[in-house]
Amino acid sequence: MSSEENTTFQIHYFASASTYTGKQTERLPAPLPLPRLFDTLESMYPGIKEKVLSSCGVSLGDEYVDVEADGEVVVIKPGDEVAVIPPVSSG
Amino acid sequence: MNGLEQTCASLRTQIAATEAKLADLKRELEVAEQAAASHKIQNAADAEEGFERRWPLLDEEYRRYGRQMIVPQLGIQGQLKLRSAKVLIVGAGGLGCPAALYLAGAGVGMLGLVDGDSVESSNLHRQVLHRTRNIGKLKVDSAIEYLKELNPHSKYIAHREHLAPEAAPEIFSNYDLILDCTDNPATRYLISDTAVLLGKPLVSASALRTEGQLMVLNNPPRPAGDKTGGPCYRCVFPKPPPANTVTSCADGGIVGPVVGTMGVLQALEAIKVITADETSTAPPPSLHIFSAYSTPLFRTIKLRSRRPACAVCSAEASVTVDTVRSGSTDYIFFCGSADPENLLSPEERITPREYRTRHHGKEEKEPTIIDVREKVQYDICSLDNSINIPISTILASSSSAMSNGDSSADGVPALPPWVPADVASSQSTDPVYVVCRLGNDSQVAVKKLKELGLDQGGKRVVADIRGGFRAWKEQVDPEWPEY
Repeated sequence: MSSEENTTFQIHYFASASTYTGKQTERLPAPLPLPRLFDTLESMYPGIKEKVLSSCGVSLGDEYVDVEADGEVVVIKPGDEVAVIPPVSSG
Repeated sequence: MNGLEQTCASLRTQIAATEAKLADLKRELEVAEQAAASHKIQNAADAEEGFERRWPLLDEEYRRYGRQMIVPQLGIQGQLKLRSAKVLIVGAGGLGCPAALYLAGAGVGMLGLVDGDSVESSNLHRQVLHRTRNIGKLKVDSAIEYLKELNPHSKYIAHREHLAPEAAPEIFSNYDLILDCTDNPATRYLISDTAVLLGKPLVSASALRTEGQLMVLNNPPRPAGDKTGGPCYRCVFPKPPPANTVTSCADGGIVGPVVGTMGVLQALEAIKVITADETSTAPPPSLHIFSAYSTPLFRTIKLRSRRPACAVCSAEASVTVDTVRSGSTDYIFFCGSADPENLLSPEERITPREYRTRHHGKEEKEPTIIDVREKVQYDICSLDNSINIPISTILASSSSAMSNGDSSADGVPALPPWVPADVASSQSTDPVYVVCRLGNDSQVAVKKLKELGLDQGGKRVVADIRGGFRAWKEQVDPEWPEY
């Protein structure tokens, strides 16, 4: 692990999340409790919670996670990969 | 000279007449060939029934499907399953066309297509079953015309309508497997709910710009409350996106091979579901994300099983066939509807015609027009007296300025950097007009400019050009490119 990977996780933005943030991916400070993910993003990208995140799926590693409903608090660890996946409905 | 012109005219007439005759003959031939093909199939089927045929497929089918039948995962058993399968494709567009093309090619016995739209020329770069000559024709008819030529063995059913809640359960009941190839959230929830309630596996895909998503849902298709059944669309996306954030391919754009990839993958997943060995367990539910400009191109997310409180597939389900059919499960209400923006009063708006009369060809220079389309659209075509400030820039900076509480010394909000100098200047009262593609974003932008105080308390006109460039083309400039 590089020093950056010891203190950050990688977050990937898809579809409207990518449009809203203007990024495909970036690194954010870790550890971060999963339930605080949306507030963290809201502070960086005001309005994103209501307009994008409210309907998104989120994955941690390669698994779908429930950001708010999960019983025990999951913590995003340094080096983890998170993806924000809005529903795409067109076709 | 006169004689030569007459010769030309006469030749032209003869060519036209001969071409018409040729077209007639081609049509007749097509009809005759189709009749011959179905006659042949019928004869073979009769023969099969009358006296025990040695082989389950027709001679022509062994040749036609041989290349896929010798793949171990399919085999003759798989081919027979495909032949008895009934697949419904909802949407005959960018996803539905390639999906239908491969499923018809693979020999699916019965293919139904649902779509109420007609072919437009803006469809042709990606909707591979439709051809230029079929512009204006119903998509299902255009698609089936192609599919029949491709594989006359299959049966094709046209549902010439948009899928509606009152009709969905009955349509679905005639099929074994559903493909969601539609383009809006309300229909996606309707399809998923109906598929769960009628016990049909669902292959769902979507695409926009350079990205796509793919999921096999409700597989295996167990009754609501049975936790061993596959998750449904609501389990993955329980809340629909806000209606005013939903982007269509018309607004957001779409790269042909991106949506094509997703449609082809739907056909592949459908073939896998149809030909799966009864004794094998279904693969774990996954969401596949395709991103054409990322590395890797694909990511796969493992989905969870059914959501414990899912409104349709859990033990606590509230959605039933009756609530769907009766309309008490209201998909339009659930997903909301983005009405065309109507944010401004009549005096804050001007039609292209009024603008032209007021400002064109006068002595003073034409006023500055702020064009709030995204840069990629501005680059396609723009007006000489316009400047480009994309709506995304306007919205992004205004929200951050608000939240940071930026303000100048006198308590007025500081102007964001994108405001042009002559618009920011309090010396000028030249009117400011805002335009976009269809006249929605321009209203949002006018509201923002006024919130920033740029109308100088009413001394300066800040107005939107009503109906955007679509109306501009209709009213003042027929040569404006419509893309």
